[in-house]
Amino acid sequence: MNINPVFLKELKVRMRGWKAAGIIALYLLVLTAVAVFIIYTVFTDLYTSSIDPQVSIGAYTGLAVIQFILIMFIVPALTAGAISGEREKQTLDLVLCTRLRPISIITGKLIASTGQTLLLIIASFPLFSMVFLFGGISAKEIMQLFGFYIVTAVTIGSIGIFFSTHLKRTTASTVFTYGTLAFLAFGTIFIGVFYIRIFYNWDYQKFLPILYSNPLAGFGSLLAEQFGYYGGINAFLGLSAGSGQNSNAANAISPWLGNIIFDVVLSVVLLIMSAARINPVRKSLFDTVRIKRKIKNKD
Amino acid sequence: MLSIRNLNKKYGRFQAVSDLNLEIPEGEIFGFVGPNGAGKTTTMKIVCGLLRATSGEITLDGTDILQNIKGIKEKIGYMPDFFGVYDDLKVNEYLEFYASIYNIKGQERKRITNDLLELVDLVSKREAYVDSLSRGMKQRLCLARSLVHNPRLLVLDEPASGMDPRARFEMKEILKNLKGMGKTIIISSHILPELAELCTSIGIIDKGRMVISGSNAEIMQQVYNKKIVRIKVRDRLDDAVMILKEYPFVDKLLTGENTIQAGFGGGEEEMSRVLSDLISRGIPVVSFAPMDGNLEDVFMKVTKGDEEQ
Ligand SMILES: Nc1ncnc2c1ncn2[C@@H]1O[C@H](COP(=O)(O)OP(=O)(O)O)[C@@H](O)[C@H]1O
Ligand SMILES: [Mg+2]
Repeated sequence: MNINPVFLKELKVRMRGWKAAGIIALYLLVLTAVAVFIIYTVFTDLYTSSIDPQVSIGAYTGLAVIQFILIMFIVPALTAGAISGEREKQTLDLVLCTRLRPISIITGKLIASTGQTLLLIIASFPLFSMVFLFGGISAKEIMQLFGFYIVTAVTIGSIGIFFSTHLKRTTASTVFTYGTLAFLAFGTIFIGVFYIRIFYNWDYQKFLPILYSNPLAGFGSLLAEQFGYYGGINAFLGLSAGSGQNSNAANAISPWLGNIIFDVVLSVVLLIMSAARINPVRKSLFDTVRIKRKIKNKD
Repeated sequence: MLSIRNLNKKYGRFQAVSDLNLEIPEGEIFGFVGPNGAGKTTTMKIVCGLLRATSGEITLDGTDILQNIKGIKEKIGYMPDFFGVYDDLKVNEYLEFYASIYNIKGQERKRITNDLLELVDLVSKREAYVDSLSRGMKQRLCLARSLVHNPRLLVLDEPASGMDPRARFEMKEILKNLKGMGKTIIISSHILPELAELCTSIGIIDKGRMVISGSNAEIMQQVYNKKIVRIKVRDRLDDAVMILKEYPFVDKLLTGENTIQAGFGGGEEEMSRVLSDLISRGIPVVSFAPMDGNLEDVFMKVTKGDEEQ
């Protein structure tokens, strides 16, 4: 099997020296501190010294949320310059003139730049497992969460790569990537609220399909479904849809599952568009016909 | 080996390359000369699949480059005029990265990297970061990079530009080596004499048009020993060409829109004879201008643009 050479190169560069290890160590330290803090707080709240599942659920939720926020903030910064940076440094032509296909360049960049975040996520896995030891959380739930993380990271990465190929400057690309993310996370909620207000007469029990694109809704519904917690914003968004609690949306799929499907489709589309964009000689249908005709004429 | 027919490239409405034709047989070192903005880089990028032609046809070993772009890229090594390097890689890692793209692995990759470093005289820098190299060294490294997959055709865009004389000399020595290895090379420059001793054939391009092309000897003879006469007619260009062909001392005819570029073997007497013949046979000659035989002059003057206003 051939491992993507662009990925290998980036891996080598990014992992060189102590910097990468230092970042991982620092990250784990912060996460551990958060976990300890939450556990400590919950312990004192309950005035109990016995191990309670509430404690681990609290720590789990805290860690999960922090890690999710981190993904939303770090991945754009790491991917939005992936291609525009090469263009600015004038190294893109040097790869494009090789036999490497544009899609390989794009996927190599994507895996390398989201990979760094994925590494942080994977490094945090033992910490989650420790929480798991306290009880209250199943291994399946942790796997679900990590699956959701990876899909989200790759999707945000694809958005970053998309802007990085379509815009000349890394700064513009970064702004648009964060902007798109803000739209998905908050803009869709605004649209949803207006929509509900106008067409559903404030019936918040409806779950609007547009919210399948919302990573926060997806993430929130995943946690809500894992702990049967329906309150606050979750109820507001009708996030309990599909979990059997909401009759209005009984046949709709869970927001987090819908979000994963949306993410996968969006990523594939964005990556294909990015590859087409950096391909200097992409063929139109017309060319294919022309060349076929020419081959035929030669025979 | 490489054949370019009626190549045109427009950037928006700006015509960067017009009706360019070129044949480069195997083993040839073709010097592509023209002032800045003449269209050299544009043409070379199109050949390497980095830019789409507006129209025209390019074939490599008889295959249209758009038909099998991946296969074509395996046969071509390209060195751009302006390029950057990955600042966080070492010299040997840099070459190994490009080798890995071509699926070259393990011992083979080490061997190729070593050979290339030796060829471009960078063995002592193998562990240095690419970013720390001097400009001339980077240029040599980039040349080595274009050779990792052992391409048959090298497209080198001003490989010696911006170098000091010593670095220029070193680059030239490397290119001579490559010539000895039997590579087919297209090399561009905006200074003709620089290419004179290296190239087997030369083409001069200006404002997107090929002004003269031919073997090195032909070009040099024409440029140094012969008068070049630029004839402009209002009409009946083809008839004028037919008449010129009747004279044995007139050769190397190059036609443009209502203009003919002709090499004259004779002196002034022959010129006046031809001119009066053209006029007596009813060719509407607008101008008949002999040009100085000086190399740089030809280069500066043999342009189409300044007559097309
Ligand atoms: N991307 C571009 N967009 C518009 N014009 C361009 C572009 N690239 C080159 N040109 C123009 O095309 C002409 C030919 O450029 P180029 O091929 O780089 O010339 P050379 O390499 O001979 O100096 C120049 O006038 C240049 O300004
Ligand atoms: Mg140029």
